[in-house]
Order: sequence, then C-alpha cells, then structure tokens
Amino acid sequence: MPAVDGVAQLYRQFGPVVYRRCLALLHDREAARDATQEIFRKLLVDQKKLLERESVLPWIYRVATNHCLNERRNRGRRGEEELQPDLQVATEAPPDLFPERQLVQQVLARFDQETQAIAVGVFVDGMEHEEIAAALGISRRTVLRKLGRFVENAKKFMLRSTG
Amino acid sequence: MSHPSILKLEAHLIDPARSLIAGHLASCDHCRELLLKMQQQGDEFMRIVYPATVQALEPRRTSRWSWAGIFAPVAALAAAGVVMIVNRGPASDYEGTKGVAIKLNVYASFEAGAKVLSDKDQVPASAALRFRVQPSRACNLGIVSVDERGEVSRLFPASGNEGAKLAAVEDLPGGAILDGKPGPERIFAVCSADPLAMPQVEQAVKVASGTGADSVRNMSTIPGLPAGTVQATLLLEKSP
Repeated sequence: MPAVDGVAQLYRQFGPVVYRRCLALLHDREAARDATQEIFRKLLVDQKKLLERESVLPWIYRVATNHCLNERRNRGRRGEEELQPDLQVATEAPPDLFPERQLVQQVLARFDQETQAIAVGVFVDGMEHEEIAAALGISRRTVLRKLGRFVENAKKFMLRSTG
Repeated sequence: MSHPSILKLEAHLIDPARSLIAGHLASCDHCRELLLKMQQQGDEFMRIVYPATVQALEPRRTSRWSWAGIFAPVAALAAAGVVMIVNRGPASDYEGTKGVAIKLNVYASFEAGAKVLSDKDQVPASAALRFRVQPSRACNLGIVSVDERGEVSRLFPASGNEGAKLAAVEDLPGGAILDGKPGPERIFAVCSADPLAMPQVEQAVKVASGTGADSVRNMSTIPGLPAGTVQATLLLEKSP
C-alpha cells in the first residue's frame, strides 16, 4: 500500500474517473465533488485494488455507481431535492429500446440498488451484458434476469401511472 | 453504429497507448465529442476538486507513514496465541519506574495473513502494521518511529499533543503503513503515568537517533524522557 505521496498520485490518476461518474449520476457539481471525496476514501481502504491494472476500472465503476445511486435515493428520501429524470441515455442503445430508456429515467428509484446499477449500466452507460456483469461482480445470468424484471415491472408501473 | 461503453472510454483516457477503441474513435465524431467532454470534466477535477479535497484524503501529510483501518481485528490474532515482542531495558541515564513495564506487539499483513513481528524482522518497505500494547498499569501512550535519515514519525495517537490514555492491554485502532523506503525503522512505544507530551518524545527521539542505518539499529532507548516513563522498542528492516 502506498504511503501519503502514493495516495495523492492515485487520486490524480483515478479521481477524474470517479468525478465523471458522479457528475453523470448526480448532475450537481458540489454533490459530485463531495461524493468523489467520499468514494475515494472508500477506495483507499483497499488500495491494492487501485494498483491492479486489469480490474481497477470496473471496481471503481462499481463503487462509484453504488455510492451515487445511494446518494440519489437518500436525497430523495430526505426531500432535499426531487429526484431528477436526468440520466443521459446511451446513444448506442438500439432504437427499439427507446421506451425502456424512458422507463429507466422515470422509475429507477423504485428498484433495488443492484437492479438500478444494471439498468444504468445497460441503458445509460451503453454497456454490454457481460461487461456490466463483470463490473458489478455478478453473473451475466443475473444481469439478464434482473434487467428483464426491471423492464417488465417498469412497464407495469408506467401503465398504472398513465392509466 | 455501436459505440464503446463508458468503461472503455475511461480506459482509453487512462492509457491511450493500450486503447482498444482507437480505431473506432478515429471514425466516430460522437465518441470524440463525448471523450472531449470527459477530458474537460477531468480537467475540472484537477483544477477545482483535487486541490480542495486531496488534503482530506491524506491523513498525515507530515508523516512518512499513513494510517488506515486495514486489518482484521488483531484480537483474532491474540486468540491464536501470537504474542511476543521486545521490551528493552532502560539505558544508564534512563529513569524508569520500578515494577512498571510495557509490552509492544507489532503485526504486519502478508499475503498469507497477518503475522506478529520480532525484533530485526524483515518486512516489505510498504508493509501495513498494527499495534497491540500492554502496560502493567494505566498510563499515557505514544508510539513513534525513526528511520536512517533521522526522520521521526508519530504513529500513535494520530493527532494531538498528548499521549492517549491506556488502561490495559489494547489493540490500537487503525494502523500504520511503512513509507516504502528500504532500510531500518525503529519503533518506540512510550507510556507515562503523567500526561505524555508527544512533541517532547519526538524531539527526544530525533536528538538521540542521529542519522545513519547503524545509528537506528543500535539505538535501544530514548534518553531524556521524564521520570516514570516506560518504553519498549522494535527494530524492523524494510526490504524493497
């Protein structure tokens, strides 16, 4: 584990990754700054992982995504700020997924954190099922199952909302 | 047109030479635009966020060590029966208190698990350590270390000018991470029935240690501490 200078170096190297993730999910510079600091503190608890070239990015992605989704949920619960349907959907998502994109934005908060992370990964970050499975440390089968359940329940929710 | 995911774009930004998407980027205006936005956000991080937050992530900027809660509870080790360490006797000019003693146990994390260290043990230069201290009676504890350059580091307590009260055997919270520089590092645990002035302890170590590897290796006590102060020491050899 690196000493103090190493911490600063790691922060310079990976801090931008965390910050971008926070901006994408929180859409608030001040909240993103605070979240970046908190997330990096979590990452530093297991600093060795920051030195593993092949797995470091998926790990950061997972920790940062979970933290920011939590933060979104908590802000909503605290009533500090209404959850904004502000996630930019991935342009690479096929056109026939457009209704699902809308669903992601509108009903995300109604699902458990892992399902949220899967939905964000696929519909917002444009990740393949295998890629999001690896990043979240779950099986591709779990991704498919939770994604299917997410879309199905979200559609029901939308039907109820519009009906 | 299928575009690379956020993770692949991040990987490209971190190490363009190993990028798997350079070919795609050359022909995709959308991704180049996205990448530019990501770079701008990265610049914003370095310009605004990094300077405002880095200090909070560096727990002890002035120290050659860093603290972290990194090990499994040391109590588990104690249960396994690993207890041992050095409790050096006082030097001729050292005024200890008869019948009072202190025992210092230092544990290091290795691939195979945590291990209790003995005097002169070799450890990786960036090893993570934890401490268990056992005084024979309640006292105020401080732990410091010195290296061959004569640099003194405060290891415990992490802040404040006084030693921390210690009533009985205790696994100290947090831990310390060695500075990554090979060479000898001598650790002292110092405990006093009276309040312990940490700056005084640090200064005493600095004066006594001098510089040079042998100086650190041969130093067995901290002279000049107030009466009633007890101490224990352990020498570690940091290897590359």
